[in-house]
Amino acid sequence: MKKSQFVYVTYIKTTPEKLWSALTGEKFMNQYWFGCHCESQWTAGSSWKLVSGDGQILDAGEIVEADAPRRLVIRWQHQSKPELKAEGPSLCTIELETFGTAIKLSITHTIEREPSKLIEAVSGGWPKVISNLKSLLEYGSVALQDPYPNKNPYSGKE
Amino acid sequence: MARSKFIYVIYIRTTPEKCWKALTTPEFNRQFFYGTTQESKWKKGASWRLLKPDGEACDSGEVLEIEPLKRLVLKWRNESVPEMRKEGYSRMTCTIEKHGASVKLTIVHEMDKARSKLIESVSDGWPPILSSLKSLLETGKSLEETRHWPEEI
Repeated sequence: MKKSQFVYVTYIKTTPEKLWSALTGEKFMNQYWFGCHCESQWTAGSSWKLVSGDGQILDAGEIVEADAPRRLVIRWQHQSKPELKAEGPSLCTIELETFGTAIKLSITHTIEREPSKLIEAVSGGWPKVISNLKSLLEYGSVALQDPYPNKNPYSGKE
Repeated sequence: MARSKFIYVIYIRTTPEKCWKALTTPEFNRQFFYGTTQESKWKKGASWRLLKPDGEACDSGEVLEIEPLKRLVLKWRNESVPEMRKEGYSRMTCTIEKHGASVKLTIVHEMDKARSKLIESVSDGWPPILSSLKSLLETGKSLEETRHWPEEI
């Protein structure tokens, strides 16, 4: 079957509990996810939404698996851009493994179609969000305040 | 043409100058690259070697392109694992771009061959090395697990 996939692995000096809490906690998330937060009960079967700072639902779906603080699987469908929404649901798997005094965080984002504009989009987004998360947990501040700081205000291009 | 390719992007709270220095200077390399150092005159056409702490080369090649603070392209062959060495030379492109007050560091490591064992190996290797580089530049300390050459190798 056709498939598009993006995998991102990073290593963060923190504990599994602190990292899980950062990934599923509303207040912390808006610091590293450019003002966005998630709404969910974080249990298998519960709904899940990624909401922008101004209240727009960017992505929605449900929690497929939740095994704190090791594994989270989210069925994830983009909501705000029509051509991305039309691609249907993707699956995002988040895994935390101990790596000595650090945690190996793996994000695997998959959709059953090829090519995929959603996977192309998240391939750009995940490194920014996760780089911010690592900086926040290790240093105390994020690496990027603005996801597109070099954007040309006239052309809209970076 | 059949190709194997690994791409990794990481954003680091640092300047292009500090990032470039960490990537090309032995005293920094050792801290995030498992105790290894690089040996090169850092000019186009110059040889390049990645040396283990005992002085033996684990990888070798050549500088194909270099633009300090911005871009480095290496021809890169593994020297220590026979089945990887047999695959020949890969191409490693490292680019540094200013991104607000941070830098965007991109590594593209590729080989003209499908299912390359070298590319498979570096796909596991680059994330901890680059994560450790980020920790070093942002907090002053690299990740402990990347400071020494693994004993079992």
